[in-house]
Amino acid sequence: MTNNADSNPLPLYGNQFGVQEMVRTSSATAGHFDELRGVLSSSSNPVGTPSASDAPGNPRLTEAWERFFASIESDSAAQLDQRAINIERQIHDNGITYNVYADEAGPQRPWSLDLFPLIVEAAHWQRIEQGVLQRMRLLEAIMADVYGSQTLIEKAWLPQALVQAHPGYLRALHGAKPAGGTYLHIAAFDLARGPDGNWWVVGQRCQAPSGLGYLLENRLSISAQFPQAFQDLRVQRLARTYRALVESLKNHSPAGQNAHLVLLTPGPYNETYFEHAYLAQYLGLTLAEGSDLIVRDEHLYLRTLKELVPVHGLLKRVDDQYLDPLELMSDSTLGVAGLLQVIRAGNVLMANMPGSAFLESPALLGFMPALSRHLLGEELKLPALATWWCGERSAMEHALLQMPQSVIKPTYPGSTMHQSFGAVLGNRLMPDAVDQWAGRISRQNEQYTLQAYMPLSQLPTWQRTDPRTSNSGQVASRSTLLRVFVVSDGQGSWRVLPGGLARLAGSTDEISSMQRGGSSADVWALTDGAVDNSTLLQPPLTPAALAQRKRLVTSRAAENLFWLGRYSERTENIIRLARLILDNLTGDEPASVTLIAWMGQMAVGNALVLPDVPSLAQARRVFERALISSLGSSDGATSVGYHLRALKMAASAVRDRLSQDHWRLIVRTEEEVSAFHQTYSQTGDFSSLQALRMLKDTGDHMAAIGGAQADRMTRDDGWRLMSIGKHLERLIFLASSLARGLQTGSVRSPTGFAAMLDLFDSSITFHAQYQQSRDLVAMINLLVIDRDNPHSLAWVAQTVRGRLAKLSDDAPITPSSLSQRVSDPAQWNLEFLCQTQPDLNAGTNTDYFYNLHELLQHCMHAAQAVAQDISLTYFTHSGTANQSLGSR
Amino acid sequence: MRLRVVHETRYHYAPSVDVAQHIAFLQPLNTIRQQLVSYVIEISPQPEQKRLMADVFGNTRCYFSLQTPHSVLQVTARSVVETSSYPLPTSSITWEQTRERFRYQSGTVYQAAGEFVFASPHVPRHAEFADYARPSFGPGISAMAAAKDLMQRMYRDFTYASKSTEIDTPAVEALRQRKGVCQDFAHIMIACLRSMGVPARYVSGYLLTLPPPGMVKLRGSDASHAWVAVYLPDMPPDLAWCDFDPTNNRCGLHSPGEDYVTLATGRDFADVSPLRGVIHGGADHTLTVAVTVEQDDGSSLTPLSRF
Repeated sequence: MTNNADSNPLPLYGNQFGVQEMVRTSSATAGHFDELRGVLSSSSNPVGTPSASDAPGNPRLTEAWERFFASIESDSAAQLDQRAINIERQIHDNGITYNVYADEAGPQRPWSLDLFPLIVEAAHWQRIEQGVLQRMRLLEAIMADVYGSQTLIEKAWLPQALVQAHPGYLRALHGAKPAGGTYLHIAAFDLARGPDGNWWVVGQRCQAPSGLGYLLENRLSISAQFPQAFQDLRVQRLARTYRALVESLKNHSPAGQNAHLVLLTPGPYNETYFEHAYLAQYLGLTLAEGSDLIVRDEHLYLRTLKELVPVHGLLKRVDDQYLDPLELMSDSTLGVAGLLQVIRAGNVLMANMPGSAFLESPALLGFMPALSRHLLGEELKLPALATWWCGERSAMEHALLQMPQSVIKPTYPGSTMHQSFGAVLGNRLMPDAVDQWAGRISRQNEQYTLQAYMPLSQLPTWQRTDPRTSNSGQVASRSTLLRVFVVSDGQGSWRVLPGGLARLAGSTDEISSMQRGGSSADVWALTDGAVDNSTLLQPPLTPAALAQRKRLVTSRAAENLFWLGRYSERTENIIRLARLILDNLTGDEPASVTLIAWMGQMAVGNALVLPDVPSLAQARRVFERALISSLGSSDGATSVGYHLRALKMAASAVRDRLSQDHWRLIVRTEEEVSAFHQTYSQTGDFSSLQALRMLKDTGDHMAAIGGAQADRMTRDDGWRLMSIGKHLERLIFLASSLARGLQTGSVRSPTGFAAMLDLFDSSITFHAQYQQSRDLVAMINLLVIDRDNPHSLAWVAQTVRGRLAKLSDDAPITPSSLSQRVSDPAQWNLEFLCQTQPDLNAGTNTDYFYNLHELLQHCMHAAQAVAQDISLTYFTHSGTANQSLGSR
Repeated sequence: MRLRVVHETRYHYAPSVDVAQHIAFLQPLNTIRQQLVSYVIEISPQPEQKRLMADVFGNTRCYFSLQTPHSVLQVTARSVVETSSYPLPTSSITWEQTRERFRYQSGTVYQAAGEFVFASPHVPRHAEFADYARPSFGPGISAMAAAKDLMQRMYRDFTYASKSTEIDTPAVEALRQRKGVCQDFAHIMIACLRSMGVPARYVSGYLLTLPPPGMVKLRGSDASHAWVAVYLPDMPPDLAWCDFDPTNNRCGLHSPGEDYVTLATGRDFADVSPLRGVIHGGADHTLTVAVTVEQDDGSSLTPLSRF
């Protein structure tokens, strides 16, 4: 390779916004390793201060970075801003979120991704690879010992307290052999690059490490922004490693290649749920929550609509303590009762074997060199930061002296057994605080671990132009931690994912954490060898592929799909209703008295306004304001905003079944309505015109969502339930609207007649068939009987019956009986329905369609009864909670 | 002394339970002080699955599952044990020396009892335990004497009140109110001992009670019991655990007395709860537990079970 920088010096354009120059004038904080230049930074140059040329003594960029920036040399700050905006938009559109836990109602935070990758050159990557592979072998050997002979503890090579006092050591699994023989299938190592340019181990995650999904999304975003550099730099590809992991898990499982693997997630409220859904889809695993699984005869099963389906392997993202309410935390609702018994019986592969959390204690790092000598007979290739567990008196005494140059970490995670705390930087402590910590440490020494403080290497990041302050975009350096992943690829064999997740500190933080507002970057591991181009990072399941593969429908997914259908339809209905009401209140033609009565009833009946709002007939303005102000609100009235939010919740629980576009539409629609509502609450006023515009836009979005649901989802039983939910809603809504129209007599007034056609979305068809006629029988024919009109009751009833009949054959209540609950529209007869008798109740002269009234009542009741039966038949599992019992 | 124990647990469910899984620790241990003569566990309805295995502490864990709907679960454990008693041995190791024995230093000799110095789910670290313990742990006092003094103080200071705590009331709560049941007293005493660095474990079992003079003993009038065992590192390993019952102010080597039956030992209640379970369905349930401990006259012995 030639050195571009020497042979082809890059011109400086004198334009202060040229990317090359901005990069050259940026530098890492003094004392930190500068990733850009590959040297320790001694610069006192404030970050981002422009200067005409390279600061004196600022060495050139590394060859890799030269090449990276050469590929975008003509970019201006504005173009970099644009790239950053593209990434943000893509993240937003793909719904990549990182929820802050325990904030169930709160907004999800978008994932944060920086524009520039962390580039790890081939020689460094090889050292990292060898180092973490060796550590993986060591961790596996420690697991085997701790859950077996416990020689390490007996010989005091591993302090008893780091195992037996750690809540992550699961006594219930002592002596249990993992299915397939491997304890650890996935581990993450957090590495930091020191001032000397070497990588050091800071920590390890062996329980349920997160990042494997986020880093894939990072890669897709960043490689698309810099395709040229991505090619030129020979960046290693990731897909093959994921495939190797899935193959390995299957081979380790009791069912081998035919294994059914499940990704166990705590559910949509978990901070990394996006990743669970994404990984499940990418790896082709079934996404399930604890309540979707059940133990029978010491085997694990998935509850699906049809039957219990055996599960042979679990990739778990639920923390160990929550896995089994029978033997671990009894109040856990995230686990599966009896799972530990299945594990002990060797009937399920676990990735990872529960009980590995004690390996995550920072205290363990200090014992690893000796453990490596004892267990592997090898010296560790990749060093860890110096770490002292204060439970050992001599180590504590030494550590206390080092406190100002150390990070104080809790030995144990927080639990009922141990209090915990966030890591504390010794160099930030005032002298009296140092004394306080020293006191705490000597009183409860085993609870504390000190780790040498090391300034983290700094990576260039693009801080984009701030539109509020109009500070122009600039390159700024940020401290970074690198998380690399080791996954099993065979019996007793592992490989390193050639990439990773770089986590970046905020501008002032030293330790980066997503929860505290840090960001992330893609990791480019370079190779001197050939790049494995055969594997492409396409999401493997296109709509076509989905259609080919028979997917399992868990009961929970089915329930959410059913509600997704119902909420979608309800949203569409009330949008149409709200538009219709506002149109009629503001239109040229004054609404008839009966129409006013009908609209008032419809608005209250569909909870567009609260029942205590003054009636439409008496206080039109007040009513109109109440209706508009409730549109986007998600409390009180259950109007458009409320239903969109419910729709989004149901959709988020079945994210793995929705196309990216579909999900994006749902997110955007909900956001727009909530933005409308916010503006309304701020200004306190809104014209009907603005409300109507919002409703029209939202209606258009809903039509698109409906399209995605109709055409872009696999037509399995899950989809069928969604469709049934949708059509049951429609049946109820249309039947009740028409019943009210007949009752109030609104259909007999010109404006009311038109309104009813509008609500049934049938104006065009009607006028095409009957011109300007306002014949009630003609209308009943089109809205009730006509099976070619997709908004007629007959069409809807027929669809519901058809879908119900197709639902799984071996369900407890036979589908035919369910489908027969709805009257067969083929038997409906116009003449019969239009037979009249005087309406004695209404006391008017108008004729009363007695038979039609009966049919409408039947439609409403049948739809409600079927919905209830569906819940009872298919969703009871997740409805009833498990209970823990105990006696003393 | 030959003791016969019947421990009956009955759950009534409404509506019925579709699926249930349970774990029982109801089989008495064999120790140097107690010989298990016979044991049988009867489960009704018949479980689809039943597995017996030794847990990490050497107790017998019985896992069973019921996969058909049932509105009553009845578990009856019948045991006969032969017990004997010894007074406390002479141990002079001070509590400070005991504490030092269990401090980690690389290259030191491992002792299994070290596990019982650590906090456990029902016995977290708390300064209030140390405060309560301290008067018994004067400088140079033997661990044995300190434990005995602690037990006597607890016996004096605490009121036994059967409804004063729930199954999951934190031990520190019971300490503050100076009230509780045997389980609370055992947890408090263990927490106090561990806060001083002395290994202590939880013992679940039974105690033979005598009817008031002139009365006939009522069946099912007893209850399961719990107390504390303390490890004295200067004794030979099989004589190192001494039992202290703060509820009744009784103590002895490996058992507070021959009228005690030892079921299981662990870090605290969570490791050895007699019967726990997870049920699906059965929104409402009522629990009745009846324990009878009687001196056995040798007649009508239950045959020794295969387990």
